[in-house]
This record gives sequence, C-alpha cells and structure tokens, in this order.
Amino acid sequence: MGHFFLSILIILFGGFLSLVLARQVKLMRFTAVFFLSIGCFLGLMDAVLKLIQPGIAGASFRYLNVFSLAFKMDELSGFFLVIIFAICLIAAIYSFHYMENSRNSLRTAVNYFFFSILIASMALVVTAANMITFMLSWEIMSLSSFFLVIYKHHSAESRKAGYLYFIFSHVGAMFIFAAFGIVYGYTGSFGFEDMGSLPETAKILVFIFSFIGFGSKAGVFPFHVWLPHAHPAAPSHISAVMSGVMIKTGIYGIIKMYILLNLHTALFGNIVLFAGVISGILGIVYALGQQDLKRLLAYSSVENIGIILIGLGVGMIGVSSKNPLMAVLGFTGGFLHILNHSIFKSLLFMGAGMVLHKTGTRSIDALGGLLKNMKITGLSVIIGSLAICGLPPFNGFVGEFFIYIGGFKGVALDKSAFVMSCFAIISLAVIGGLALACFTKVIGIAFQGEPRTDAAVNIDEKGPSMLFAMSILACACVIIGIFPKLILWMPVKAVSALGLGIGRVPPEPFGQMAGNITLAATIFLVSVLLVTAIRWFFYRNKTITRSGTWGCGFTQPTVKMQYTGSSYASFILDFFRPAAPLDEDHPKITGRFPLNTYYTSHVNDIAELHMKRVIVNPILFLFDKLRWIQHGDIHLYIGYILLAIILLLFFI
Amino acid sequence: MIESIILWLLAVLVAPFFSGVILKVKAFFGGKKGPPLLINYYTLIKLFKKGSVYSTSTTVMFKLGPIISLGTALVVLMFLPIAGQDPIFSFKGDILFILYLMGLGRFFVIAAAMDTASPFEGMGAAREAYFPIICEATTFMILIFFYRLTGELQLSAYFTEGNTIELWNLTGAPLLFVVIAFFIILLTENSRVPVDDPATHLELTMIHEVMVLDHSGPDFGLIELGSFCKLFFYSTIVSRLIFPFDFGSSAIGFFVFIAGLIIVYVAVGVTESVIARYRMDKVPQFVLTSFALAFFATIITLEFIK
Amino acid sequence: MILHPVDTILSLVLLSVLFAFGASRLPVLIKVIAFQGIVVSMVPFFIGHDMNAGGMVFTFATLIIRGIIIPMSIYVAIKKVDIKREVEPIIGFHASILCGLGLIVAATYISKQLNIPSISDYKLLFPVAIALLVTGMFLLIARRNAIAMVLGYIMMENGIYLVGTTISIRARHIVEFGILLDILAGVMIMAIILQNIKRTFDDVDTANLRTLKE
Repeated sequence: MGHFFLSILIILFGGFLSLVLARQVKLMRFTAVFFLSIGCFLGLMDAVLKLIQPGIAGASFRYLNVFSLAFKMDELSGFFLVIIFAICLIAAIYSFHYMENSRNSLRTAVNYFFFSILIASMALVVTAANMITFMLSWEIMSLSSFFLVIYKHHSAESRKAGYLYFIFSHVGAMFIFAAFGIVYGYTGSFGFEDMGSLPETAKILVFIFSFIGFGSKAGVFPFHVWLPHAHPAAPSHISAVMSGVMIKTGIYGIIKMYILLNLHTALFGNIVLFAGVISGILGIVYALGQQDLKRLLAYSSVENIGIILIGLGVGMIGVSSKNPLMAVLGFTGGFLHILNHSIFKSLLFMGAGMVLHKTGTRSIDALGGLLKNMKITGLSVIIGSLAICGLPPFNGFVGEFFIYIGGFKGVALDKSAFVMSCFAIISLAVIGGLALACFTKVIGIAFQGEPRTDAAVNIDEKGPSMLFAMSILACACVIIGIFPKLILWMPVKAVSALGLGIGRVPPEPFGQMAGNITLAATIFLVSVLLVTAIRWFFYRNKTITRSGTWGCGFTQPTVKMQYTGSSYASFILDFFRPAAPLDEDHPKITGRFPLNTYYTSHVNDIAELHMKRVIVNPILFLFDKLRWIQHGDIHLYIGYILLAIILLLFFI
Repeated sequence: MIESIILWLLAVLVAPFFSGVILKVKAFFGGKKGPPLLINYYTLIKLFKKGSVYSTSTTVMFKLGPIISLGTALVVLMFLPIAGQDPIFSFKGDILFILYLMGLGRFFVIAAAMDTASPFEGMGAAREAYFPIICEATTFMILIFFYRLTGELQLSAYFTEGNTIELWNLTGAPLLFVVIAFFIILLTENSRVPVDDPATHLELTMIHEVMVLDHSGPDFGLIELGSFCKLFFYSTIVSRLIFPFDFGSSAIGFFVFIAGLIIVYVAVGVTESVIARYRMDKVPQFVLTSFALAFFATIITLEFIK
Repeated sequence: MILHPVDTILSLVLLSVLFAFGASRLPVLIKVIAFQGIVVSMVPFFIGHDMNAGGMVFTFATLIIRGIIIPMSIYVAIKKVDIKREVEPIIGFHASILCGLGLIVAATYISKQLNIPSISDYKLLFPVAIALLVTGMFLLIARRNAIAMVLGYIMMENGIYLVGTTISIRARHIVEFGILLDILAGVMIMAIILQNIKRTFDDVDTANLRTLKE
C-alpha cells in the first residue's frame, strides 16, 4: 500500500502547488501536470504490479478515535486503479496545452487543485474497505467533480449544469446512505464483510437502493439526466475523466455490492440487464438526436454504461443459473468494455475538446471539413468512433464479442434466462447499428464535407501535448483491437478474484478467443493491403483530375445545401418517436417569395420530461407552500434552532 | 485448405456473372433482349481501364471507402462455406466477426459518401445507416434460432456437409420462415427492389447507388466488385438453406449448389420485375417483417425442442 | 423431427397474424383474414378424431363460409360503399408489429400456465388460438376503421374456433356452425349498417360516432 499512498500524496501535492504558483501561469501548469503525471504513473505501475502478483494489501487508520479508515487493495480495485491512473495520466498531459488559452490563472489553478483531489478520491473510492471510508471518499469525489463542472461559473448554463449535477449526486448518495443504513441496522458494524449475513429480503432492498444510488453516478437511464448537462460544461480533459473514469466508479459500486451481498438470485441479473438494455438503446437514440458534440458524447456514455451493464447482467444470470462459462464471459466482457470505453470515450472527448478549442463551437451543424486541416485529431476521432461502434479490428469489438458469446450461452438455458439472453443479444445488435449511425453522423457532418460556417474555415491543430495524448489513446484502440491478449489478463484476473462461487476460471478459452480475434484482424488487414495493392496497380500512369462534387445537374451548389446532422438523424429518430419526442419550431411559409425563415428542432429526453413532471413540479409546489417558514427575522430563526434541538433531544 | 482457397477465388470471379442473371431476368419480364450475361465483366474491365475524377471536397476517407468495402467483402467470403465445403478460416464466434466486419464496410462507404459534401449522398447515407439496424436485429434473431438448435456460433456449423439438413430435420416448417426472413435481409442489405432500386437514375429515390455517385474509374470498379461479392454471400446462404442436401464433394453437389444460386438470383430478378419499390417510410415495416418472421420461427421451435 | 401437418398449418396461421398487423390497406387485410379462415378451417381434417361424413361436410361448409363467403361479402361491401382503403391505425404499424410479437410471447406463456391436458398432442394449437383471440382484440383497439374492426372480430372468432376444435370433441361441429352462422348474419347486417353510416357521416371512421353523444 505504501507506493499507492505515495502516489496519492504526489498527486495532491501537485494540486496544492498549483494553488501556490497561481501567479506564474506557465510554471503552474507545468508543475501541476508534472506532479499529476508522476503520481498517476507511479500509481499505475503499482496497480499493474498488484494485478500481476496476487495478494491483498491493506492499511487502516483511526480517525477521531471513533471511525476507522480502512483501505484494501485486491484485484478488483487493482483493475479499476489501472483505468483511473492511466486515463488521468493522459488527461493531465492533454490539459497542459488545453488550458493555455485560459486568461484567468487563478481559475486554472483551482481547476488543477480539484482535478488532483478528484483523482485521489476516485482512487480512494475503489480501495475503501469499510462504509465510512467509502462514503467519505465518495462525497469528496462528488464535490470535487462538482467544482470542476462549474469551471465556467460566469455562464448560466454551467451553473445550471453544476446545480443539476449537485442534486443528482446527492440524491444518489442518499440512496447509498440508505442502503448502508439498512446494513448497519442489521449488523451494527461499518465493515463491508458482514454484509453477507443479512436476511435475503434485506439484501434485495440493499441492492436495489444501492443500484439506484450508484446508477445515478454511472448514468443509468433514467438517472442519467445530469450527464448530458454536466459533461459539456466541464473543460474537455475533465469531461474525458468524468465520462471515461468517474462514472465507472458507479459500476464499481454495483459490482462491489453484488459481491458483498453474495446472493446469487436471478433477480439481480435481470434488474441489471434490463437497466442496461434500456440505457443502451435510449442513450444512443438520444445521442443521435443531439447537435452539441459533447452532449452527444455524454449520451453515448449512457449507452456504453448500458453495454457494460448488459455484460454484468449476463454474468449475474450466468451465476444464478449455475453456468460458470456464461458468468465468466459476461463479467469479463463487461470489465473489458469498462476498460475499452474509458480509452475511446476519453479519446473522443479530447478530440471534441480540440475542435472546441480551435473553432469555439460545439455545434455539429456549424462544423464541416475539419479532417482536411486537423489530420491527427480527425484520424484519432475516426479511430475512436470506429472503436465505440464496436467494429473490428478496434478495441470496442473485443468487449462486445465476449458479451455476445456469454449471451449466446444463455440462449441454451430455459425460461427467464433464455428470454433475458435473447433480449440482451438483440439489443446489443440494435445498439451497434444505432452507434454506427450516430458516429457516422459525427464524422460525416463535423469532420467531412465542406465547412458549414466561418467557425470551421481555416483552422489548424496545435498543442503538441493534446496531439500526443490523443495519438497514444488512438494507438491503444488499434493495438488492443488487434492483440486483445495484451490486456485480457487484467479483466480475467479481476473476474476470477471476484469469488462468484463458480470455482477457478480457466484461462484457456480466453486465450483462444483472443487468438481468434487476432487471426481475424490480421486476415482483414492483409486483405485490405491486397486491395490497396490492386488499386495501386490499376492507378499506375492514370490521369487523375479534381473537380467539384457532382451536383446531379445543379451547377450552383453552396455549402448550406449539405445534409445536416439533424436531417441525417431524422429518419431513425422517427422510428423511435415515442421514446424521443421531437420539438420543432418553424414559422409557416407564406407568399411566393418567402424570406428569412428558420427551423429549430430539439429531441426531448423522456426521463427529463417525466422527472420534471412527476418529481420536480410536485416538490416545488410543496416547497412553495412552506414559504411562510422563511421570514428573514433572525430571532425566529434562532427559535427554529432551539425547537429543533429540543425535538431531537426527545429522540435520543 | 487448397480446395477452399480455389472455391473462394472462384466465388469472387463468378459473383459478377450471377448478378448479370438478375439483369437478364428483368429484361425477360420487360419483353427485352437485355444485356449479355457477362455484362458486369465488361463494365468492370471498362472501369478498371479508366482514370478517376475526385471531388475537391474529398479527403483520404473517400479513397478508403472502396478499399475497405471490397476488403471486408473478400474476408467475409473467406469465412463462408461455399457449396457445403469447409471455408478457408473458421472459429467459434466467427459469425459475430463477419457481421461486425460488414458494419465496418458500411461505416467506410457512408463516410466516403459524406466526404463529398453532396446533399444527395448525405440522403443516401442516412438511409444506408438506418435500414441495416433492423436487418442486424433480424440476423441476430436468426442466430439465436440456429444457436438454440445446434449450440454452435459458427458459419461452418450451419452450412457445411450434413449440418444444414440436420437443421431441417430439427425444425421443419419454421426454417421456411427463416429462409424468407433471410431473403428479405438479402434484398435490403444489397439494395434491391423493393427497398432500393439499383437501376433508377433519379438520385433522390436511391440508397446505395446515390452514395457512390462521385466514385469513378477503378475506385468504382472496386465498389461494384464488393457489392457483387456481398450479394453472393447472402445468396450462397439462402441457396444452401433451400438445397440442404449433402453429396460429399462430388460434382452433383456443385451442380445442385449452382442451381440453388441461380434460383435465388432469378428470384431476386422476379421480385424486382413484379414489385414496385416501396415508399421510403414503408421500408422499415418491410424489414421489420423479417424480424417478426425470425422471431416466430424461434418461438415455434421453442415449443418443440425442450 | 419433421413437423406434423397441423403444426405447419398453425405456423401459417401465426404468419397471417403477423401480416394482419402489418397490413395498411383494407383489401390486403381482408385477403389475410380470408387466408387465415381457410387455413384455420383446415385444422380439423388433420386433427384426426371423429371425422365422419357429417363432420366432413360441416368442416367444408365452415371452410367455404369462413374463407370465401365472409371475406367476399366484406370486400363487396367496401367496394360498393367506396370506403377509405386505409385501416387508419391508432397505434402505428411498427409499434403494432412489435406489440404483436409481445402478444404472441404472452399467449405462449399463458397457454403453458393453463396446461389443458386434452391438447397436449399439438403443442402449438393452444398458443395460436390464444394469440388469435388477443390479436383480434388488439385490432379492435388499435384500428379506427369500422371494417378493420370487424375483421379483428372475425379473427377472434377464428381463435374461438381453434379452441373449440381442441377442447370439445363431441358435437363441436353443431355448436361451431351455429356461431359461424351468427357471424355471417352479423357481417351481412354490418354491410347494411355501414352503408347507413357512410351516408350519414360520409366516412366510416368510428371516431365519428362520438358525435352521437348527447
């Protein structure tokens, strides 16, 4: 554990130093990034070593002589630590040039300060070994990320996003508190270990409460509402960390509770799988309807959380129906997708950050033709998009492949396991198709074609650290996609250490499957090379001319005539109209020569709509009725305090 | 292995011929003589002889489109058991890889179309992104059906040697639904009538043809060859399903297989001749029918196999 | 295991259910129902028990009425009255197809729960019958056009017929035939009423009947 705490201390030191050095902007950025990177790198090495050498390390401290703060590092936390440190390392490097335009140096310093706290608290969350420690780290994590979201606190949009995020993370935390409260009520201790001794009904209640609590952090539908608001508001390297890593702590919580409760009922699997399917499909449908690049990516995170939950759900169903292979495949697929998603999602957010940095707009329909001048960014985003669509030979395919195989194992079972497996497979297929549509929209509209507005004309890509960070991640996508064996051992280790009651996990089938993927990817690459050679052969000594795009007989095309993102998506959104109602606003066209008309459309999120209608409005109404309590008279307020104390004394 | 490679080469070489059969059938229904059966070869040769014109809007993605789409089609054929023979490569779960590889091909064709900044190609791309979503759902439903019967997730476990006839023995009538469902997928994925019209010259009514408007010369030839191979892939599967008999590797087996192929291509031609293209908003319903068929087949089979 | 003819027929019935959901025009829907009527009436020929000469005649008569006369009379009615050919769905076609799939799964599940012993030979029979009942009801709910609703009603009757074939072994032809004649009469009356509705409202949209409310 020593190295682990050392790395945490270095990270925190870096954050603190940035506050001290706030005046010297360049030095401050350099030191902050330097210490954050060193700390993350140390932590990463330590976590990888922990995964290689099995064995559990722990440490505990006493706080105020009452609470004990205990930390434990097993394979599961090791796996999550690898993700946290690796992605934060790259995000820190990326931030060096991303933050260069910031005029307010103090704000940048504060940003680095909270960034360091966020990294440290995430690492502590996944190593916490009792409820007190866990909740403490959890709250620090929520608060530090809240301060990161309101980075641009002068804009009303950011403040609103931060406010929403604050409410959601605290309502979620309340559910977790409730779950832990139930556990404490039964066992009388704050330890995690005693959770297995609860009666069955209590276990189910605890699981459901904690699923809601952790789900609201992870962005499970319908608790995802904060995500598409908060992610665009934060600076891009923070969005990358939040979307790639922080929401995964919610997944960690769900897995941890499942393991600790040690109740292998099919109900848990069904809940998780169902939530995954709904999040997956609706998440990507809403993503398709967005015009804001970062909002689109945020919704796509909801989708990917859905895929991860489908994997975990398949695994849990496998455990409950005593099918070890299905269980292991499902969990491994889910874990792989956690890792892969953190890579390509942070890559995409960084790409979006670069676009935002250079063009100043997040609107997809205002962009176009970026690929011509932003070669590295464009290529990285294309690779990220291919990976997120789950296409071979990129890393997104590997995780989905395992989940599919696990799901098919469930098809051979009976009753509800069969139905849920079919459900999982079909929805994965649909999600894959929709993701393809969604990310061809991103690539096709934003990066290809001609610039739609002046914002996208004559831009360049600068910032070596940003380009370096994106290239590293893009390479990781390709390499993992072709040689999944390189990282497969990590999720396999983590899964076999879960203690699912299915005995030892045989590593052979995984090696074989990974080998098959490598083989198939190689065949594909060879075939592409072959076709390239053929193409080269036919193009020798040929005349190649360039001219305008064929306008089907129309000779005066303008850039405004290009297909827009909204029209690209409208076909598909029409199919999902009941789940994604569309608000349109355009005046009626009158007269023979109509001038100056406009059209706006907005895809509504039904979770947001109904949450407002069913929960927010009644609460506002109720609180409106309680307005009379607020007087502004300080004497009365002191009276309230006295009253509260007296009332509480009765209960003690 | 050698046999499989020869078969694969043959498949790539004869795929354009069979697509010519469709044209001949359509000409027959129109009361015309029609183009020669080898028309597609002449077209390919002509295209490969030419140079190219590239739009000033395009980037490297435009050139990658044809390469990847033909590359994926070639790989897909390598995993396909042709005439009941073993494919060149095969592993557990290869079908997932194939389906997603086709998705990769689609991604690049769409990207190449969006690269031209043409509103028509954008329109085609949007449709190309839409319809296959439902097709994929159907394909996976069919896979669930096959998996339930055989417990395998491998193309060669369904379509080599005696395996296909075993499928018929296990299910009977429901497999007929699967054949119909698969035929609908064939029509959709290969942009045939009633989903798309490969012959039309009105850009607004097309899906696949409009996406390749700007490709020319050898690039266009590669795309054409890729789509012939893709059609051959689906037709082979349907052909194997309707003639599941196993004759070893004798000549009769090949004749039966080729007869099956011709029946499928003629069926496509007849469909194109007697049915009009659907209105765009009716197409999803048509494709959804294939999903319902596959779903039915699975439910009905569940009743029997306990 | 090659299927028993009964099961093949029942698969075709399920297929017709599917097409009934997808049909957007009345003539198509009528054809589907006619096909369904013919196929459903053929079931007793293969089901085996008590197929004497009388039974043969009754079954044939059922087939003709169900498969030819009823659909024909409706077809003629809509031709005469010049009714809108769209079925005017309240629930869209995509949703209908997906609902239909859900209903069929539910029917399969329910029929397993009921577990009626006399039909265990034909596993598909009872699920199909229930599916017909439920989908007929669904058409009644989800289509606004009066004719489409009548067709939904006929579909339900087909379902009842199937249940009847399976449960009552004795004297079922008489009972069935009685019901069928009722339906026939109903269809005839409907054709006449339709003409009146059409004359009054210029349309057969059942939503218009709301205006009759006080």
